[in-house]
Amino acid sequence: MEAANVAQSSGQGTELAGKYLTFSLGNEGYGVGILSVREIIGVMEITAVPHTPPYIRGVINLRGKVIPVLDLRLKFNMHHKEYDERTCIIVVEVQGQTAPVQVGMVVDSVSEVLNILAGEIEPPPSLGSSSETENILGMAKAKGEVKILLDVDRVVGEGLLQQLAS
Amino acid sequence: MTAGHKSLSDLLDEVALKILMIEPGDLSIVGELLDLIEKLLPGQAAPDTPIVIQRMAAAFKGVLEKLIMGELADSAENYDLLGQCVIEMQESARKEGRPGEKIVAQFCDNLKKIGFSMEASALLGTVDAASAGMAEVGDETMAEEEGPLASPQIDPAPAAQAPPAAGPSQEALPDFLQDTDLLAGFIEEAFEHLESIEVNVLELEQSPDDQDIINNIFRPFHTIKGVSGFLNLKTINRLAHATENLLDDVRNGKRPMDSAVIDIVLTVGDALKSMVENIKDVLQHGPANYKDTDISGFLVNITQLQEGGSGAPPVETVSASVSDLLPEVSEIEEAEETEEGEPLVGEEAVAVAPSMPTIARAAQVAVSPRVPQAPASSVGRSTTDSAQKKIGASIKVDVEKLDALVNAVGELVIMQSLVRQNKLVSRIADAKLTKDFSQLTRITSELQRTAMSMRMVPIKQTFDKMIRLVRDLSKKSGKKVDLIMEGAETEIDRNMVESIYDPLVHMMRNSVDHGISPPADREKCGKQETGTVFLRAYQKGGSMMIEIEDDGEGLNTQKIRKKAVERGLVSESDNLSDFELNNLIFLPGFSTADKITDVSGRGVGMDVVKKAVEKLRGKVEVQSHSGKGSLFVIRLPLTLAIIDGIIVRVGSERYIIPTIAIQESMRPDRTNYSTVHGRGENLLVRGELVPIIRLYEIFGVESTNTDPCEAIVVVVENEGRRRALMVDELLGKEEVVIKNLGGLDVQGVAGGTILGDGRVGLILDLAGVIANKAD
Repeated sequence: MEAANVAQSSGQGTELAGKYLTFSLGNEGYGVGILSVREIIGVMEITAVPHTPPYIRGVINLRGKVIPVLDLRLKFNMHHKEYDERTCIIVVEVQGQTAPVQVGMVVDSVSEVLNILAGEIEPPPSLGSSSETENILGMAKAKGEVKILLDVDRVVGEGLLQQLAS
Repeated sequence: MTAGHKSLSDLLDEVALKILMIEPGDLSIVGELLDLIEKLLPGQAAPDTPIVIQRMAAAFKGVLEKLIMGELADSAENYDLLGQCVIEMQESARKEGRPGEKIVAQFCDNLKKIGFSMEASALLGTVDAASAGMAEVGDETMAEEEGPLASPQIDPAPAAQAPPAAGPSQEALPDFLQDTDLLAGFIEEAFEHLESIEVNVLELEQSPDDQDIINNIFRPFHTIKGVSGFLNLKTINRLAHATENLLDDVRNGKRPMDSAVIDIVLTVGDALKSMVENIKDVLQHGPANYKDTDISGFLVNITQLQEGGSGAPPVETVSASVSDLLPEVSEIEEAEETEEGEPLVGEEAVAVAPSMPTIARAAQVAVSPRVPQAPASSVGRSTTDSAQKKIGASIKVDVEKLDALVNAVGELVIMQSLVRQNKLVSRIADAKLTKDFSQLTRITSELQRTAMSMRMVPIKQTFDKMIRLVRDLSKKSGKKVDLIMEGAETEIDRNMVESIYDPLVHMMRNSVDHGISPPADREKCGKQETGTVFLRAYQKGGSMMIEIEDDGEGLNTQKIRKKAVERGLVSESDNLSDFELNNLIFLPGFSTADKITDVSGRGVGMDVVKKAVEKLRGKVEVQSHSGKGSLFVIRLPLTLAIIDGIIVRVGSERYIIPTIAIQESMRPDRTNYSTVHGRGENLLVRGELVPIIRLYEIFGVESTNTDPCEAIVVVVENEGRRRALMVDELLGKEEVVIKNLGGLDVQGVAGGTILGDGRVGLILDLAGVIANKAD
């Protein structure tokens, strides 16, 4: 299963090439496909929702629309960091069960939009446990740094699904 | 697992509601029922649907198909038995698919009574046996599908079945599908016209000589005829044309407007409606759904009426819906009658043989000189326009656009108050600014009111349908019933109109079928022969009230009490008021007991009505005096988008509790507080023990108070259960706009809303909160 996954990802290297919005969590750089990003907003007061896993911080009011917000640090089991003026919420749109849904992701800070070429992308490393790597599309070496390219549908979709299952 | 199971019980509830709606002779609802039950069939059901229920559904479907085919009698008794079957399926669902032999045996027994043999072992037994039973059912249905089901057109005259029935329908297809935009417009328009026809016809029944009303009926037929001819909808055109001719005769005084004409116009209206419905289907789901409708029966009848034949066959036997094309004895008789009778003249006579496409088409040619072409149809349209002048000009708007507007206006109101409350702004002491602000507030609230009112429609449409229902019911049962409607102009949320229709029909039917007694019995009781049913709508506070009152038998409170004690719902020693006893009829499972003669329905019961009303966040109650009549009161929120709620604070979080559920709030006295085994906390509220739910506990937030006697409790009621919710503070009452949580689905939370400060507040779902605590 894992081998197949790796093979698939490397085969998709050309498909993965494109523009990514990069951001940081701690010392790590991440990227999400620009096409799924709707907007970036500063962090605002979040209303907690009961009976949800800790990484789902709650819901916010996005100009009259109520959308859920998840904390990527907590989602990836990194330790929590107090929100500051650099903390951002990246609003992404993913396909929900019936209609597209918008979800906010809390990140430490947003960096820039990078054009990542096919040759710069490598398949995700095998880290033993597959649950850690299945959110990852690939690793990109851009400007001398490594960016972890995230599969937004997986990260967000899985988060909401897990929540539903609980 | 819970989600799947819930949808199963929901599905069964829907099935139960549909069963209630069935009238013998109206197979269209049986068709809808079939659609529903197919969702429970093996292979299509949710994976966690108990296998027994899937098998039951398969058997159920077999019965429905036989009913549609006419192999089983289309009688009220059979539907009652089907109702029992649904109850047994519901029972099985409640027992998680292990219903026990007794229920299954009952199920089979009921099926047998209908005339569909089914062995209990096939439902319960080993997989092998079951699959064998399944295959049997499958075979039967397959065999039947080869038959007339596949070809919608069945001709009344058996000899006419020789040409393939599907032939003409397929030929007719491409003709009218060329201009889908025009067609969609026509469908909308036709529905409006047909409704106005129905209303006017019923009005005409009261004053048969009113020339204006006859004109009002004539015009829409004329328009439908014109436009359908223009769009090449031949069958509709022909039927509308024939009816128009008949009405023309009436208008010119050639024949009186009698009940025969009224009946035929009504049935033609129904037939046209189902045809237009079908065209809508074709538009939405492709030409495969096209059904050719056989209208020869109508044409024969109309011609006979025009010939002055007072001996026209009773029109009731002419079936109305598309699915009624199945061979029915009465129809065949009719056809024979016409064959034997005097030769028919005119194009209608030719059209009697619709199975012969060439002749039918020839008839079309014969008609065409009289069919108005495009300009004529626009004339027809303009005349109707002038007839509707008093209603005022209106335009149709996409509902999504409307919702977007309402959303934006809501945001505007919030932003305005945020700007106003801004610290710097509020410090400005400028008279002009203050004045401008109050002007702005006025404009925005006006805007909000207008935006909200755009979602509202008068309930008249729904009420008007009841006129027909009561008329049909009273005719069928031989009772005399007057329907008096008040407040039909009261406005109701557009989205609610459809959901309120089914429960209303059910309650009206209850009132006429079971409330009002036959004329002879009424006279014995010293009442007028004619019973009266009132249907009222009005606004009261922030609610919309609908009342259904009859002067019939009333509920037999003592029987209800006896039944309730038998079922263990109340104990012999309970001292309940008549009002409380009467409202027991809304409890689920109550009416599934043996019939209570005075109020028996199909056995599926009033709990379906209650559930439907509660889904709309409303309430239903009954007041009744034995022998004097009953009054059902439905209370609905004015709109689904807004909820009237009390904002409470728990720690740092704010929640909204729907006001309709709140009974009282208080700071509890220590003497009223008690615990069971140190855990289950109860509060004595007016002599009744009410369990306490600590909101902060189940929502996992920090609370200011952990002692109920220092906090505030809000006593709420949901589905007959009372609970005391412990909160820190009551912040106020507000009407809030309900929004979903963008994909999050949390037990105990019905949705979110944006509060005055722009933050999101969560709206409590009390059913969820109570269930959560019970877990």
